[in-house]
Amino acid sequence: MNSCPHETELRDHLAHGQWPAAATPELCAHVEACRSCADLVLVAAAFQKARAGTIAAARPVAPGVLLWRAQLRRRNAVVEHVTRPLLNAHIFALAFTLVVGLGFVVFEALRNDAWRTWLEQLPQSAVTQWDAFRTTGTIDPTWSLTVVLPVLATLFLIGAVAVYLATDRQ
Amino acid sequence: MSWEFALPGALAGGALDAAVDRRGDAPMDSEAFAAFYERSARPLWAYVVRVSSDPALAEDLMQESYVRFLCAPKAPSLAVDGESAARLYLFRIATNLLRDYWRRPRAASIEEVPEEFFAVSDSAGQSDSQIMLGPALRQMKPRERQLLWLAHAEGYSHREIAEVTGLASASIRLLLFRARRKIAALLRAQKEPAGKELPS
Repeated sequence: MNSCPHETELRDHLAHGQWPAAATPELCAHVEACRSCADLVLVAAAFQKARAGTIAAARPVAPGVLLWRAQLRRRNAVVEHVTRPLLNAHIFALAFTLVVGLGFVVFEALRNDAWRTWLEQLPQSAVTQWDAFRTTGTIDPTWSLTVVLPVLATLFLIGAVAVYLATDRQ
Repeated sequence: MSWEFALPGALAGGALDAAVDRRGDAPMDSEAFAAFYERSARPLWAYVVRVSSDPALAEDLMQESYVRFLCAPKAPSLAVDGESAARLYLFRIATNLLRDYWRRPRAASIEEVPEEFFAVSDSAGQSDSQIMLGPALRQMKPRERQLLWLAHAEGYSHREIAEVTGLASASIRLLLFRARRKIAALLRAQKEPAGKELPS
């Protein structure tokens, strides 16, 4: 790379828009002869003209729009920062509930065989009770207590969780 | 029901805005920003549009640059660091956004992006200077366009260009010299046929 010693001086003239008016005749003569300086003059002139033309074509939006967007982004960042511990608490509560529920079921299953017997008889019992309901139109009170109430409770629980999650997202 | 209503008075309404303000992320107030924006938006747009050759992309990236500038906790303050530092920071954000944009869809590196991808036709509002510079600029690599624009259109020093582009200050001189020689040859080649057409 050949760096011309006049480059700094020439660059100053170009940067201040003083080329070639404020340049000495020696510098002008040098630029005619020096390839590097001639390149600098040619390129700088082309880019400065292009800059002026491009800037004139710019149509920037109002600054208020950008301020509003920045404010919104900062606000969202703060909300996210604050809600992170709450989300962690939700996850912990859900995991704790699942563990306790699972522990309870395992404990009850190990304690006696009543659950297993009940679960084994449940499909057959449900079909029988459903047929009875279709023919008579009444529900056996024991069947409703053992099957209907847990089903309704589960549906209610799932519905409540779904509604909570939907509103929480909003 | 939102959690904000479950915590009465904690972060609802103006309390949230106060929390945003307390963080002190905003580098300047709205009036100072409007004045700064008035002076810097057009040069920034010109830089992005000449480097990317895509006015729509330039508009998006320019807006995103300002939003990031306003949200950045470590952005230079006009009052403390001065406008030139703020402007350099803004150009640096725009340069990073351009690099991210180029890397994302098609190529792993800015240098590997094929030239055809950047050869978008300059359509509306072309001046004579743009028509002259446009074809030559389109034959340059994106990195060369950035360096040339920052050096010769914005008048930044090698140190400032290094700050904007993230390149080593020592390599800027060589890269810029090569890029200048290349585009000067292209501009001369462009001028010569036109000169020959003139009647003697």
